[in-house]
Amino acid sequence: MTASIAETIRERVASIETTPSIPTVFLPLLKLLNLPPERVKLNEVVKLVAYDNTIAAQCLRVASSPLFGLAKSPETIRAAVITLGLRRVETILLTCCLGSAFPAGNWALDPTVFWMHSLGCAMVCRKFSEKLADGEGDRAYMAGLLHDIGFMVNCISFPREFTAAAAKASQMQIPFAEAERATMGFAHCDSGKALAEKWHIADDIIQVIAHHHAPEQSETSQPLIALVHLSDLLCRMRGMGYGYYERRKVDLVADPAWSILLKEHRDLAKVDLALFSFEMDEAVDEVAKLVSTIFGAKASSASG
Amino acid sequence: MTSATTAVASAKTSTPVDPVFRQIRDLVYKLCGIFQLEEKLYLMADACARRMKALEVRTSREYWDLLTANSSREAEMRQLLNEVTIGETCLFRSPPQLEALRKVILPELVEDKSKQVVKRLRIWSAGCSTGEESYTLAMTILEESSRLLKGWTVEILATDLNDRSVEAAKAGIYGDYALRATSDYFKRKYFSQFDEKKMEVRPEVKKLITFSRLNLQDDSRMLFMKGMDLILCCNVLIYFDGPSKAKVVNHYYSNLNFGGYFLLGTSESLLNLNDKFHLVHFPGAIAYWKPSLKSGKL
Repeated sequence: MTASIAETIRERVASIETTPSIPTVFLPLLKLLNLPPERVKLNEVVKLVAYDNTIAAQCLRVASSPLFGLAKSPETIRAAVITLGLRRVETILLTCCLGSAFPAGNWALDPTVFWMHSLGCAMVCRKFSEKLADGEGDRAYMAGLLHDIGFMVNCISFPREFTAAAAKASQMQIPFAEAERATMGFAHCDSGKALAEKWHIADDIIQVIAHHHAPEQSETSQPLIALVHLSDLLCRMRGMGYGYYERRKVDLVADPAWSILLKEHRDLAKVDLALFSFEMDEAVDEVAKLVSTIFGAKASSASG
Repeated sequence: MTSATTAVASAKTSTPVDPVFRQIRDLVYKLCGIFQLEEKLYLMADACARRMKALEVRTSREYWDLLTANSSREAEMRQLLNEVTIGETCLFRSPPQLEALRKVILPELVEDKSKQVVKRLRIWSAGCSTGEESYTLAMTILEESSRLLKGWTVEILATDLNDRSVEAAKAGIYGDYALRATSDYFKRKYFSQFDEKKMEVRPEVKKLITFSRLNLQDDSRMLFMKGMDLILCCNVLIYFDGPSKAKVVNHYYSNLNFGGYFLLGTSESLLNLNDKFHLVHFPGAIAYWKPSLKSGKL
């Protein structure tokens, strides 16, 4: 990426920051998400949810959905938050905020597909983290959810160039980042990093956003980036990709990210990757339902 | 616990599936490497219910005891697997696997071998049953014969332990059920009407395949199946015990050329029985790869 491209990204990202559509709760929410789960107070979450009508309505809608199979729908925000659990509320808050910040009107990418991938990756990151028993499941979830935030930047700030990149990716059935670099001279990792820095997102998450396609290039947080990288690849291979067929073979064990993670977690060698993949198939439907409930759109699995 | 008569009914409604069937699902994976998705757990419950009825076993817990008791576990697991995999076979059964074959595996094999004097690919359908998988492969190859595989000779060997299955495979006559996933395009191009209800594979497809009887546990015969580029073995290894399965898988590894692929059923795993194979992913499908010499991943 050249210096002039980096400057263009910074300029366009700066204009995103002034968009009036970012809900007021967004920055307090990011702060809340950076806390360890035991320090998150239920009352604070209820307050954040209640602050924004759209988000409150979404929480009530998801809590009343068949996903939870309740006989009676929760009538208060507090009841909805308890039904959903803190983790799901965090997800809804974050996705709603980002959804408002980046209205889906003219996306080059189907927003439903984007959210399927982001939420799917978040869930796989958490499951992966649980398999490694590293106690970092929540951090991994957050990292998975935000890793591709640069796609939103590209949709909004570089619509023409990004539309061409999306067309190239699906026509040639190549990885998205490769198509972006070929047509735009940079990828979503670069623009995502610029936005994450502007928003003062935690440094390890910025590293994930910037390096999730090449964890070995980061100077810090390599194990978390490697975990997101592998989860991202698994999602793309198991029905939660970007809605097109990626014509490629993925050898996770031979990937540099695997070695990075293995140095930290010797138990990685014991993970039954085939079983992990089969278990992921079970998650595809659940994620599709969640996306459909949050965004009210018909979510179908996105192959590729 | 659930009785045999209510197992199926409860599974097909929204009633949660008896947890014992989930335990049985996990046991089947642990022993045989075949996985049933949670959403299809009712199929496992259904299969168990049929076995429970045949055995006059009243509760799922009693059936679990039969599957885990020293005296009965092997025989009963075999019976249960028969129930689980019953009716699974059809032509074009796994589109993601076929897509991976067409879009990634075959192009890679062709590229790897393009510098060889003899342009030839050898494919083995091991445990071909009544030929559905073998003919699917043959039709896929024929579709590529004027494009990717132009100028190549492709040899498909299809073997099964059962003589009757081999004979049925050679005949290549299929009804609606076996053809349920076959598109009209393929039916028109590669089949002729056999009678009112059945269709027969055309001779040009048949001539691509050599069918024969082979016992996968016959070490001396297995040693002769060398030089393969691709081996498919779907829902066969699940019937073998651990040591036999490991032995057969080791044979497959030796039978494959470097850079060759080994494909199992869509929900089937090798359970880490062979650490020389690399498990690789394609969109919607997995395969086991014997790294090529130039890949440096041996």
